[in-house]
Amino acid sequence: MTRKDRWLLWIFLAPSLGLIGLFLYWPMVGTVIESFYATSFISPNPEFVGFDGYREVFSDRDFDDVFWNSIAWTLGVVVFQNMLGFLAAMLLNQGLPFRGVTRALVLMPFVLPGVVTAILWRFMYDPQLGLVNSLMIRTGLASETSAWLANPDTAMAAVIFVAVWKGFPFSMLIYLAALQTVDRSQLEAATLDGAGPLRRLWDVTLPAIRHVILVNVVLTLILTFNYFDIVWVMTRGGPQQATHIFPTKIYETGFGQFRFGEAATYGVVSILVLAVLVALYVIVQAGANRRGRRT
Amino acid sequence: MRQTLFTTVSAGALALAGAASAQEVTLQFWDNQQTESGLSQFQQEAVDRFTEENPDIAVEVTTIPYPEYQQRLLTAVQGGNAPDIATLDQIWVGAFAAAGAVADLTAMAEEAGLTRDGFFGGAWDSAVVDGALYGIPFNVDVWQFSFYNAALLEAAGVDPESLTTFEGLRAAAEAMTGDGQFGVGLFGHRGEDTVAVVNSFIFSNGGAVLAEDGSCALNEAPAVEALTYLQDLAQFAPDGILNASSGSMRELFLNGSLAVEFWPALEQPTLQQSEIDWGFVNGTAPEGMTPVGTFGGWNLAVFESSENKEAAWKFIEFMTREDVNGDVVDLIPANVAAAEDFLAANRDGPDRIMEHLSNAQARPLSPRYLEVAEAQMTLYQDVFSGADVQEAADEACAAIDALN
Repeated sequence: MTRKDRWLLWIFLAPSLGLIGLFLYWPMVGTVIESFYATSFISPNPEFVGFDGYREVFSDRDFDDVFWNSIAWTLGVVVFQNMLGFLAAMLLNQGLPFRGVTRALVLMPFVLPGVVTAILWRFMYDPQLGLVNSLMIRTGLASETSAWLANPDTAMAAVIFVAVWKGFPFSMLIYLAALQTVDRSQLEAATLDGAGPLRRLWDVTLPAIRHVILVNVVLTLILTFNYFDIVWVMTRGGPQQATHIFPTKIYETGFGQFRFGEAATYGVVSILVLAVLVALYVIVQAGANRRGRRT
Repeated sequence: MRQTLFTTVSAGALALAGAASAQEVTLQFWDNQQTESGLSQFQQEAVDRFTEENPDIAVEVTTIPYPEYQQRLLTAVQGGNAPDIATLDQIWVGAFAAAGAVADLTAMAEEAGLTRDGFFGGAWDSAVVDGALYGIPFNVDVWQFSFYNAALLEAAGVDPESLTTFEGLRAAAEAMTGDGQFGVGLFGHRGEDTVAVVNSFIFSNGGAVLAEDGSCALNEAPAVEALTYLQDLAQFAPDGILNASSGSMRELFLNGSLAVEFWPALEQPTLQQSEIDWGFVNGTAPEGMTPVGTFGGWNLAVFESSENKEAAWKFIEFMTREDVNGDVVDLIPANVAAAEDFLAANRDGPDRIMEHLSNAQARPLSPRYLEVAEAQMTLYQDVFSGADVQEAADEACAAIDALN
């Protein structure tokens, strides 16, 4: 590439880079700056407080709740979504009858908007009118109704279940595509050598698609950590903070209580966690690309 | 031909110029909608009437669904795009005034002769911050009325009037709970409806959220007694109280499995369309005391950034006028004279509603109200979870007092 070409390249890239900087990175920088000020709606003149805002947030009991809830939420959703997605992909990768129709049906939860999903499941979980309790009692899984979303011990598990239900088709699609790239001849050779289905899965299929699994896991980590609507609509972070995660806390603090500085502090912590996850994604993706070039 | 064309174009231009000068000012008015009552259409009709009376002022009405309203308004103000006029929840006025976002209307109100006497006192007071008036009451309501299912009460032999006392409500709730039926629709999700209902029990027991000096009063005896009473009463409420809202209770009330639900008078249009045989009483208080409700409602405010404050004031005067106010609200008009006509035409038991409105108490008028309410929500959830009431109230008060 000549020097002229390089200039041309930057000239063409400049509008896009400018827009990305303006609309993506400038608000992020603004949030970081705001986190060093005590700002709220009722204090139009921000006061510089440096790291005091962070110290205050870190020493608040709410922060611990939000942090550990976010970890539980993210890991819970990612682990179960990927496991279920993988199992569903394995099933759909077999020569089942009506495979096309089944795939379309399995995709349904994924195409529903998050808010619709949350409202639907709020009704399903309703202790008096909901289908979940009714089914559990009829099938003998429970002897009495439970208020799944109102009990601090079960609320997080209940919202994780909904997020997994909505998200597993996404993982399934990716795994299904990956499974179809597995070399058939290797699977046949393993079968001839007497390997059973589990052995073939462990020794042939999983190694062949492990980079896809890694990328998918990291991607769902990022998406789940940032998820807002299901939790907000179903519980608003309650009961008693039991389901408050970073996005719901940021929204409630900023828009619910007009405390922008504190919301920005939570936002920056959230950005830092996401930055680590994105770095992980980049590393995993780069590794996958290297392996792809070698093979 | 050319002459004719010139004449036509000139006439058109003059007509356009005339129209432009006829409506020199365009006001942006934002309101929120809480019910499916056709409010937007009624407000547009009122705006047309206003424009007829004031041909030099045009008004563009934006009606925003209630759940989105706070965020949209806040974003607009922060972004420098506030409307000229908007309805502000009574509990936001302190914050908007402290932020310098809304204009002081004291002088304009005095000049126009608008006084507290013409409105519900609690509503007028909610717009006064440090002696200055930052809004004119637009609509009001009160939490809570106890709406009851007459058939369920009759079957259990409960006298509806007994619901107005702490003791009577508990006995009735106990008598009507069982076999998939619930006595009382208590709810405790993190929402302002929870705060308003629990506050009314505290107010009715002689308690307060904040004392006169601004310190927290939730850990004082009247409030703690009321909270202890509610903690006990919760055993007769539907399961899932910590994630239940007034809306959840409405569903159960309408399907006939809940005997008593707590709502403002706003609930009446829904019940009037239902097949439930319903009635209502004004809140609940200890024997010998008068139930005190929690005031709710909205004020009309002019934003400081508005370049058309005089026109905006004209519009506010118009919208709160006796002959207009009742046509443009979905709660109850804040203008007392308009409210009397509105209630007589649209609500059952207008005299009882007027009485409850007159007794109602406003929520704390603090610029940091939303943070106070947050501490209250945590307290009320703790109480409904079975925590020690005094300890939970002490903790809430520590959080509230730390705001000062």
